[in-house]
Order: sequence, then structure tokens, then C-alpha cells
Amino acid sequence: MTERFNDSFHPFVIPFLAGMAFVITVCLIKAVVVVFQMESGERRRYLLSLLKPNIIVKNIYDIIVDCLLHVRLWKRNRMLGFMHSSIAFGWFMIILLGHIQVLLYCPDRISTFYYPIFFDWFIEGGQHTLISILLDLFLYVILAGIALAIVKRFYSRLFGMRRTTRPTLLNVIGLYSLWAIFPLRFIAEQCARSGNLTLAPWWAYSIALCVFMCVLPFSRYLHIPAEMMLVTMRNAHITISRPGKGIARVQTDSCPNCGVCIDACPMNADPANLKDSTVYLTRQIRRHNDRRVGQISDKCMLCGKCTSVCQVGVDGPKLRILARAARKYNIGPDFSNVRPDVPKSSGKILYFGGCMSQLTPLIGRSIESVLKKSGVEYKWMDRDGGLCCGRPLHTAGRLKEARELVLRNQEAILASGAHTLLVSCPICYREFKERYVLPGISVIHYADFMIELIQSGSIGLKEKSDICYVYHDPCELGRGCGMYETPRRLIAQAAGIAEAPKNRTESVCCGGSLGSLSLDFAHREKITRASLQNLYDSGADAIATACPLCQATFSRYSDRPVKDLAQIIDEQTVAVIDNSRRRETGCDIEGATLAKIGN
Amino acid sequence: MHDNIVIIGGGIAGMEAAKALLALGHTPILIESAPTLGGHVGRWHKLFPDLTSARELVARLRSEIVGANIFLGTQVISMNRLADGYSLKLSNGIVINASALLISTGFKLFEADRKEEYGYGVYDRVITNADLEDWFSGADDARIPQQPQTVGFVHCVGSRDLKACNGQCSKVCCATAIKQAIEIKERFPFARVYCFYMDLRLFGKKYEDFYVNAQRDYAVQFIRGRVSEVSETIDGHLQVKAEDTLSGKPLKMQLDLLVLMAGVVRNTAVQELTSMAGLETDSDGFLRSRDNEYAVVESGQPGIFYAGACTGPKTVPETIAEARSAALSIHAYLKTL
Repeated sequence: MTERFNDSFHPFVIPFLAGMAFVITVCLIKAVVVVFQMESGERRRYLLSLLKPNIIVKNIYDIIVDCLLHVRLWKRNRMLGFMHSSIAFGWFMIILLGHIQVLLYCPDRISTFYYPIFFDWFIEGGQHTLISILLDLFLYVILAGIALAIVKRFYSRLFGMRRTTRPTLLNVIGLYSLWAIFPLRFIAEQCARSGNLTLAPWWAYSIALCVFMCVLPFSRYLHIPAEMMLVTMRNAHITISRPGKGIARVQTDSCPNCGVCIDACPMNADPANLKDSTVYLTRQIRRHNDRRVGQISDKCMLCGKCTSVCQVGVDGPKLRILARAARKYNIGPDFSNVRPDVPKSSGKILYFGGCMSQLTPLIGRSIESVLKKSGVEYKWMDRDGGLCCGRPLHTAGRLKEARELVLRNQEAILASGAHTLLVSCPICYREFKERYVLPGISVIHYADFMIELIQSGSIGLKEKSDICYVYHDPCELGRGCGMYETPRRLIAQAAGIAEAPKNRTESVCCGGSLGSLSLDFAHREKITRASLQNLYDSGADAIATACPLCQATFSRYSDRPVKDLAQIIDEQTVAVIDNSRRRETGCDIEGATLAKIGN
Repeated sequence: MHDNIVIIGGGIAGMEAAKALLALGHTPILIESAPTLGGHVGRWHKLFPDLTSARELVARLRSEIVGANIFLGTQVISMNRLADGYSLKLSNGIVINASALLISTGFKLFEADRKEEYGYGVYDRVITNADLEDWFSGADDARIPQQPQTVGFVHCVGSRDLKACNGQCSKVCCATAIKQAIEIKERFPFARVYCFYMDLRLFGKKYEDFYVNAQRDYAVQFIRGRVSEVSETIDGHLQVKAEDTLSGKPLKMQLDLLVLMAGVVRNTAVQELTSMAGLETDSDGFLRSRDNEYAVVESGQPGIFYAGACTGPKTVPETIAEARSAALSIHAYLKTL
């Protein structure tokens, strides 16, 4: 292996060097700006986390798994997974092996850091080493990935994607230069190896690299460095707090514009909403198009499905709530004189039905009936009307007002003396979980509560019903609170259960969500019908859900009965007559999450 | 056989049309799925504005159509288009070849339990307008207390309500609510009666007098605002929340009885029949007339005619007038064959 020339420089490396210098400078500036935009406490926490050995290991592991191997994408779509990881991991390996190659065969050139990129031009006869063979192998892998990318650009349906984004001009330039880099490298290497020292392919290769790197900070390819930063921020538990700044900025920059969220978005049952998916939100935030950012943010139902399918973890709902919160209102509600009237419930369970339970009285009635059957002592906190939990204000971006409601409720609930807060509405449940501080009081969803009652023998099950239910995961309970299995277990004890094709994290929003500020009724109807169709496809006789809003929305158009979990359990259970047994098992429950059981 | 006329639906529209066709010298065949004739009106107690007996009207019509062929408890199973008419197969096995068909399948009352927030089927003291008519006619109803002190009427339940999938006005409930409020006051003079309305549409002959009477002579109170939610107190009373939109104040009151004015919606039971006949549905969900201004009783299909509430909510006099009009149109149509 010998050097072809005495001189270790050729003018064609200049475009590459210029592009490299440019991209590194811009990305460093961006990173520094982001860090300075963070709140001082968070900034300190973030920077310290970068020094902790266990977090460093986790960061490296996550970057390899998420950014290079795209394991999450593999799980979702193998073709897309192969395409992305072949390019990302292949490229990474080429850079790594290239440097090893220089280190091994011409160590005095290791500081000339364009050598690994243009190795075959400067060095002759390097093609038969093991490293060189590996390098060629990874280049072929990348070329296969690029071939797939080209096919996907024009026939995205082959990859299981019904819709994909329309790229902007800079993205197109970035895309074509990225496609060009590796075939040009291949041609240039093959020419040089066969002794043909034409300069044209080398110039083209270097220029393609330069164009790609110059476009990178201003196109979707910014996601490559941004995603790595996002991984480190996530591992430092940094949360979104300011619109367009800090981690919010990194999240928007991390969006690779893959468009997976377009097909996932339930609003796209109506093609009028195609441009309101999260991928368009991040695009408009980057362009500082405040009008469109406002529109897209207001329309969303905040169901969180885009986040659950997102490969890099862009939190669409949070970004939207922040955009809503940035709006200034001249007037706001005044809660200073409002005091929720909470009954004294020392040593008892306090049941909070929420506003929706007033509109769907059957749910509250079923829960009360189950409570009575079990003999548990309880008080209904808002039977006669109470304060809102605060979530509607919170999702509308009125964070200060929501906070005020939360504080008033919190104070009253703490003063009641209850040991358990039982909640039937997942919208309230999520708010209680995320925003309330209730020391000494366990907040429990009725699905967990009822399964405890059944397991402890506090209520008895009737013979299983013949009806087969399909369970619809409400957004706030499933993706919002992570509760998927308990409701299914409950139904399975009481009746038959079937699964819809899209369920659990991929459940389709019912369309009734109070998250949207601007979706009108006609548009919501289309979403509801699409969501119902998904449930019909299970072939079940009836629909079960665990959210009063989903229930009310589905009942409007459903051709089969829609019931809340509480209704089903109430219908399928009986009181346990044997009081001694109840007392006996009562102790077990007390040891668990529940309360004293009276007789 | 060439001049067979089949009337599908034996409510007042079908009966009145049969009567008119008999007078014109035809022998119509009347098919009714229920075991008795009379339809919704047969269930009603009194008719507005003169409070005449609905049963008497139905009984008189019944006595006037004895000459017609009447099939009770019978449905149309299938229908085929012939060159000059239609072939119908009935659930009793009879096949009829008809030259003309009259669709008088009427409407369906909105299922009030679909507005769960009003508590029909959930709370003991919530009934519908139809339940109240049954009670007026003498049926027992445990939900109606012996001596109610306060009674509320909720207008527009399932009407003009997109959330109930029914955007149109049911037309007859405003006057029905006033009529029922007056009847309640006559039975319980000391009860306070409230009507919760969003608009009062009192367009017909003497309806306005009816409304004035209710306020002046019966002290019925009209509150402009929809009821938002209903709950039950521990002692079994109803607690109703509404907004008085004229004074802009929220209201909360206890009631002993709440009557829901369930609206008029399309009769989904005849969907199969209308699709077999190739009849179109209008944007309001009811059957589409050939012309909504000029040819309400004609369908888009030759030889198929409409009468009554199958094309939209109608009052009794409108239905009777349409039935006669349809009979004349059928008579004229048969002459062209």
C-alpha cells in the first residue's frame, strides 16, 4: 500500500472541507443557543447529566439504537427500518472504518482528516485488506438503502405508507445530494482502483458532500445532529416548558419529516386536515409561520397518537399546548370566590365524577351501584356539581387559570380527609395524575378499583355474558396514562372481548376530544365514523370504552350499543351476601391500595 | 288487477288516502305492520288546537275504509319493478301486482334515551311526550307522581340538534308542549309548569292563541334556554340545570316530573323498503319528493306517491290534505296508463 502522490492535498477536497467547516460551525452555534435558552436550573441539570458515567453510557446506547440502528422504526416497518438504518449505520461504519484504515496503513496521515473520505485517491493498492472489504460491504448496504429510498420517494405505498410529506426545495436539494454521494463515491473508488485517475468523479463526490452539508442545517437533515441532542436531553429528564426554545426547539429540529404521523393522525379521516399533522407543525415552527402554527395547534385533538408512532419522540400535543399558551387573552375567568363544596369523608373513598358524568349519568350511577354492592364507605364529591378538574383549560393553553382551579380542588380534597380519590373520567384522571399534589391520598381509576374488588371477593361475578365487546382505548387513559390491560382484564371477566385492528397505543381518537379548539361538528363526524369503522372491524356485538366523552360521541353514530366499562361491570356483578367473608377479605384489600370495608 | 293500488302504512295518511280512493271508485289495499290502524295519532290523546279526541278521529277514519282490503301485522318483504307497475311480496305470503304505490310510512319518535344528559331511562321521573299522552289516555305510569308540584317540559329533544344527528325542526312539538302543559295544569291546577324552549314556532291556525292562553289562563312559565343537565337528588326529585338566556342567568331548580318533547325523525324501519323501491333520501334524512315546492306527494319513481310525515314532520291537517292530494294524483296517474 503506497501513497500515489508526494503531495497529500488536491483542490477537490476544498468543497468537502468547506462544507464540513460550515456544518460543524452552524450546528455548534445552534446547540449553544439551545443550551442558553434553557431555564437556568434545567441547564445545570442537563450539563451535569452529560458528565455522569451512567447517563453517558445510556446516551451512547440510545444514540446507537435510536439514531443509527433505528430499532423503533424496524419494529414498526421493516422496509423503512432497513432503509434508514442502512444509510445511517452504514455511513457511520464507513466513517469509523475509514479512520481505522488510515490509522492502520498510513498513521502519519491521521491528522489529515479528509484522508478517510478520499482514501483510494491518495493511497494505491488498499483494496484487498479486511477493512477495505468491510468498507465495500457497507457501501453496498448504503447503496441498497438509497435504492429503496428512491423507490419510496415515488411509490411510498410499497412501504405501507398511504401518505407522505411533500418536500420543500431545500429538502429536495438535500435529498438529491444525499442520493448522489454514495454512487459517486463508488464510481470514484472503482475508477481509482483500476488506475484511471480522472478527477471528475472525485470532484463530483466532494461537491455532493459539500452541498449536503451546506443544506443540512436548514433542511430536515438537521434531525441527524438534533436527534442525538434530544436523546441526551431526554435522558436528563428535561421537559418542554417554553415554546420554540430549549428542548422544544430540539424536538422540532429532530423531526425527520418522515410522515409516519400523517397516516396515524385520526383527523385525516377527512382529507381537509391532511396538512395539520405534527410533521407540518414542526415544519411551520421552523419557518416561524405563526399563523399556520396557530391554526395547526388549535385544530389538533391532542390524542397523542403522533407521539406514540414518532420515531424520534416529538411530543406533538405538548408543542401545541405551548403554542396555544403563547396567545394573550385580555380577559380570563376569575376563580377567586369559587370554593368547591367537598363533603367530609374522613377514612372514606372520595368519588370524583367530573363534569362529563353529569352528561352521562349512567356511568356515575353504575359506579355508585358497584360501590354500594361492595359495601365500601364513600362520598360522591361532585354529585351536586363541582369544580372542573382543570384539564380543558390546560389543553386550551390557559395554564395559569388551570393552575388556579387545580389549587382550589387540591385544597378541598386534602381537607376532606379521604384516603382515596376514585376517578371515573380519564380526562380528569390524567390531570389528577400529572398536575395535582395530594400527599396521603391515592388517586385511583375505577378500572383498577373494580378489579381489586373482584379479586378480593368484595363483589361477586355473575355468569359471563354472551355479548362480545370490543374495547376502545380512550386517548387520555391509554396513551395519556398508560392503562391498556386492566380494562381488558375487567371485560374478559364479565363478557367476551374482541380486538380492533388498531388498538392500544394505536387506538383511533373518537373525535369528541375537547383538545381541539377549532374542529367543527361536521369534521368531527367523519373522524368518529372512521374510528367506529375500526371498532366494527373487530366483529364485536357492542363497544366498550372507559371515557364518558368517547361513549357520548360514539353513541351518536354507532349502529351497535356503546357502554362504559362501569356499566358492564355493574350489570355483571352482584353483592356478596356473606358478611363474614366480606370482613375477612376486607383485610386483604386494606393491605392493598384500597380502603376500609364496612359491613 | 291492472288498477291495484297499494298503500304502505296505515296511519292517518294511509287511512285518509284509502278513504279518498274508495270515493274515487278504487279498491285500495292497505298494508300496516302494526296489529292496529292509526299509527302515532292512534296513540295520542287530544289534538291541537281545539283539543279534539285523536281516538275519535282514528275511529271515524277506520269506519270509513271498511271497503278497502286491509292487511294488519303485515310487512312488504320484497319488491320488484314490472313494466307497468310493481310486484310486492308480503310477509303473509301474498304477492300483489300493483299499478300504483302510496308510501305513508310516517316518522319515528326520537329515542329520548339517546340524550343521556336528560336522564330518560336513568331517572324515575323523566318521561316523554308520548308517555304523557298514554297516561292522559288512561294508562298507568308509575313515573308520574300523585300530586306533582313542579313539572318541566324540555322542547326540541332530538330536534334541531346536530349532536343527535337530527338537524331539522320537528314542527309539531312546540304546540304539543303547550297543549300538554295546559292539560297538566287542568289536572293539577296548583302545579307550577315550566317550558324550556330555544325558539317557539307557533305558525299554525290558532297556535298563537294557544300560547297566549297557556301564559295568561294557565300561568305556564316559558324559559328561553336549553336544559344542560339533569340529575337526581337523594329524595328522588330531579334537579335541572339550565340557562335563562333572556336574563343571562344560570338556573338550577327541583322538579317532580320532567317531560321530554321527543322530536320527529325519519322512520328507519322502512329503509329496506325504500331502497328496494329506488327511492331517494333528502338531505334531512326523510324521503325526497320530486319537487319540494310543487310536487311533494310525488316521488322520483313512476307510480310511487307519498303522503304524510314520510317526507318530513307534518301536522294532522297537513297530513290529511296530503293524503287527499296523493289520492287524486294516483287517480290521475292510473288514467294515463
